Amino acid sequence: MAVLEVRDLRARYSARGPEILKGISFDVEGDDFFAIIGPSGAGKSTLIRCINRLVDPTSGSIKFNGREVTKLSSSDLRYARRDIGMIFQEFNLIDRMSVMDNVLAGRLGYTGNFRTLFRMFPRKDIDHALHLLDRVGLSDHVDKRADELSGGQRQRVGIARALMQDPKLMLLDEPTSALDPKISREVMALIKEMAQELGVPCLCNIHDVKLAMEFCNKMIGLQDGITMFAGPTEQMNEAKLDEIYAMEVL
Amino acid sequence: MDNSIGYRTMDIRTDEIIARRTRRQRTTAIIGAALFGLVIWSVDVTVVQDTDWERIGSLGEVMESASQFAGIDFSLFPDLLGPTLETLLIACLGTALGVILCVPATWFGAMNITPFAPITYPLARLMMTLSRSIHEIVWALFFVAVFGLGAMAGVFAIAMRSIGFIAKLSAEAIEDIDPGPVEAMRATGANGFQVMLYAIMPQVLPQIVGTAIFEWEINIRRSAVLGLVGAGGLGLVFFRQMNTFNFYGVTSVILAILAIIFLGEAISHMIRRRMI
Repeated sequence: MAVLEVRDLRARYSARGPEILKGISFDVEGDDFFAIIGPSGAGKSTLIRCINRLVDPTSGSIKFNGREVTKLSSSDLRYARRDIGMIFQEFNLIDRMSVMDNVLAGRLGYTGNFRTLFRMFPRKDIDHALHLLDRVGLSDHVDKRADELSGGQRQRVGIARALMQDPKLMLLDEPTSALDPKISREVMALIKEMAQELGVPCLCNIHDVKLAMEFCNKMIGLQDGITMFAGPTEQMNEAKLDEIYAMEVL
Repeated sequence: MDNSIGYRTMDIRTDEIIARRTRRQRTTAIIGAALFGLVIWSVDVTVVQDTDWERIGSLGEVMESASQFAGIDFSLFPDLLGPTLETLLIACLGTALGVILCVPATWFGAMNITPFAPITYPLARLMMTLSRSIHEIVWALFFVAVFGLGAMAGVFAIAMRSIGFIAKLSAEAIEDIDPGPVEAMRATGANGFQVMLYAIMPQVLPQIVGTAIFEWEINIRRSAVLGLVGAGGLGLVFFRQMNTFNFYGVTSVILAILAIIFLGEAISHMIRRRMI
């Protein structure tokens, strides 16, 4: 069974505004590294934010592990979000907190208000955070403030934070767009390696088609909210790419 | 032929321009004369008619009246220690209470986190305006009527007067935050309180602390005069010296006020420089 089933998803930001997503459907399965490609403004960011409802879709269905996400109450939605890790283009770390506190923030969904106020995380969370930071290569930076790190290091903190949730699905919103090409490849390799190790499927917005072809096994190509291509990466070719990115030339 | 027509149209245009300039000059002259008349009238009403010229007397007598203050009553200083400390404490406690009281106004007054914008946002704006548009002396009169004479009325007056400024700047700081961390925290399944604590507070805390310290500095000035209406501190001593015609004592009180204001400015400058 697919971990994530999206059917005829539509979204617009205001009642009279333009429709950003015009009926998108796809499945993400257990070991997929699933890419969403397309030019700027195609609706990639909106699509990925609909999955954990940072943006509310206007219609359509999103089933996550068999459960309809679009109809969840706000508390059920928070429970669902705990199982969905997210990594952002601009990292979205809390600059004034330490690397450790940033990673522990991944546990907020499991932590009560009182414990949050005094940052009292259980010992096993701190153990887990240290282990993850070691895995992403930041064991020497645990006590540094997040804004002291370089871009690549900051994204590694983002990866550790997302994995801290013990996610059943990872959403990656342009995880490498703010990084240089060499670091981008390293970060993608790290995400893929950790995802495979932990058996977590990934859904990844990505601008860089070469990286997408290299790391992803399936992809959909969006253009102006419409699916132009859907299938295994091997079926993608130059002609189809030209068609997807045709708008960008204009 | 063409040329003469050309010149004629030029003539008309020149006339038009000159007419327009004359009109503008005339308007300027009229407005200037009206303003001058208004100033003369104001001086007449507020100064000439309203001043007791008999009481002022000659220029020499004016200088003499002023020179009554040119001295320091050193014997008063031991009695100033208590009220000076009280004034400082009124400023400190008032600011602290103000910071606590401004939490709801800040929360409601920041467009991006206000719980129900159509009602809570205008409510917060009203609270801020009310706090700032009522003078601290008026707040003090109100709280003296409520709590009776003493420093508690001063603390509450200062607190109420502080809410507007601190809440306004804090709310604006919250409106200007980077929304990225908010999105990231919501994505982990955090609730509203946790988002506030993790994504918003760290971004705005330095600015809020800076604003509060700045307000504290101003509050020292304010609390120094609250005694005039019986709300404790140096103002009361000031009032008493004035009433007993001990003008050297008045100067002593002014010096004490100056001293704590300088102290406040120095501390505020130090803390804020270290934070930025």
